[in-house]
Amino acid sequence: MDLSPIWLTLKLAAITTLLLLIVGLPVAWWLSKGRSFFKTIIEAIITMPLVLPPSVLGFYLLLAFSPQHGLGKWLQNTFDIQFVFSFQGLVLASFIYSMPFMVGPIKSALQQLPASLAQASYTLGKTKWQTFKNILIPNIKPSLLTAVVLTFAHTLGEFGVVLMIGGNIPRVTRVASIAVYDSVERMDYASANAYSLILFCITFIMVISVFVFNKYQAKSPLE
Amino acid sequence: MIKLQNMKLNIFHIKRVGIVLFAGMLFSVPCYAQGLKVAAAANLQSIIEVLQKDFKQRTGIGIEPIVGSSGKLVAQIKNGAPFDVFLSADMSFPQELYKEGLSAKAPVVYAYGSLIICSSQNIGFQNWERILLTPRIKKIAIANPAVAPYGLAAEELLKKNGILENVKSKMVYGESISQINTYITTGVVEVGFTTQALVKDPANKTPLYWKVINPKTYAPIQQGMVILKHAENNPDAEKFYQYILSAPAKRIFEKYGYRIQ
Repeated sequence: MDLSPIWLTLKLAAITTLLLLIVGLPVAWWLSKGRSFFKTIIEAIITMPLVLPPSVLGFYLLLAFSPQHGLGKWLQNTFDIQFVFSFQGLVLASFIYSMPFMVGPIKSALQQLPASLAQASYTLGKTKWQTFKNILIPNIKPSLLTAVVLTFAHTLGEFGVVLMIGGNIPRVTRVASIAVYDSVERMDYASANAYSLILFCITFIMVISVFVFNKYQAKSPLE
Repeated sequence: MIKLQNMKLNIFHIKRVGIVLFAGMLFSVPCYAQGLKVAAAANLQSIIEVLQKDFKQRTGIGIEPIVGSSGKLVAQIKNGAPFDVFLSADMSFPQELYKEGLSAKAPVVYAYGSLIICSSQNIGFQNWERILLTPRIKKIAIANPAVAPYGLAAEELLKKNGILENVKSKMVYGESISQINTYITTGVVEVGFTTQALVKDPANKTPLYWKVINPKTYAPIQQGMVILKHAENNPDAEKFYQYILSAPAKRIFEKYGYRIQ
């Protein structure tokens, strides 16, 4: 059996999670401090992929990155980057699609920390960055782990967007969820079963390990 | 005593009405759309609506089309999908259903599909075999050859021309011919191989450039039809079957770029 869809999926999930961790942490921190109209709008946009059908995102990405017009054309001509039918396109789609799973848990964990924690650190002469790195992050470790695992797992499960903008190219965009769909269509139920079982086991182990690591205190991303 | 019984009956009656109303609410959408369930290959996406209207006008019988790639529809039929008639994009899928006893009669050909090379840019398709190799063409879309007969025909065509291996890195696969049409009309691919029905479809608003592929250069796309087991005792299914093979339906097929002989 061709295992490339599994590797491709893991690679996509790993890259997406890493990127989201780098971007998501500061965004979550920023969102957790105070409220404003602008912040509410941004938070709404970040949260929307939770409820928006993946086909909506897929459709707009298809239009936005078509090399015939606008943004897609400019990207193609200037940087020779194509976001449709390419791996980087899937990374971009997953980035948008999985963002609420990274930002959500971190933000609510930061909000639940007592304000005195950071204030004490500032009083002792620590900078914002030192406070963030040495005080806040260690205190939200369980939520951070939940966010990372859920982002990874959610990217594994991505299907609708990839179906629309992926193009089912072996070793480039044929991720495991697409391979399952493809095998079912070809009535190759043995392969479909193999891919599905692997995905099932990976996700199961991941979720279980979060529970164990957090001593049954894992937080739902919606909390 | 009699009164009491009546009351009981009444309560029972009210309950029943309630259940019926509730069920009615639940199923109101499917009930409204009830009709002959016709599983149609994706290349028939636009023409099936025209056939549906014409058939309704002639017989008063409504149909409910389910459109998808032939392979996907066959998988659904094998797993118990309640479809009455199957219009495939080839002969092998309906043949397979017939062999497995999911259809009482052997399939018949109702039309021959016509493969075109198509683009939203004016590329000039005189020497399309050569143009596909140039760097100007970055992506070529065909339907998944495993499930979509038009995709299979396109792949065979590229193989015969000896360029399949050279353009492999440019290939993009759609789950059905409909997705290829989306890829062509939105311009995400420079070139796609699709059905001629796309360019004959009045619903398409994108200006397209295309060339009919010489039918002698690929195995004919014989599109077959079967009545499925689900419709065994449904006279409407037989009527639709006869209609698809009738002269008025043939005229519609020809109008949409299909060949009859």
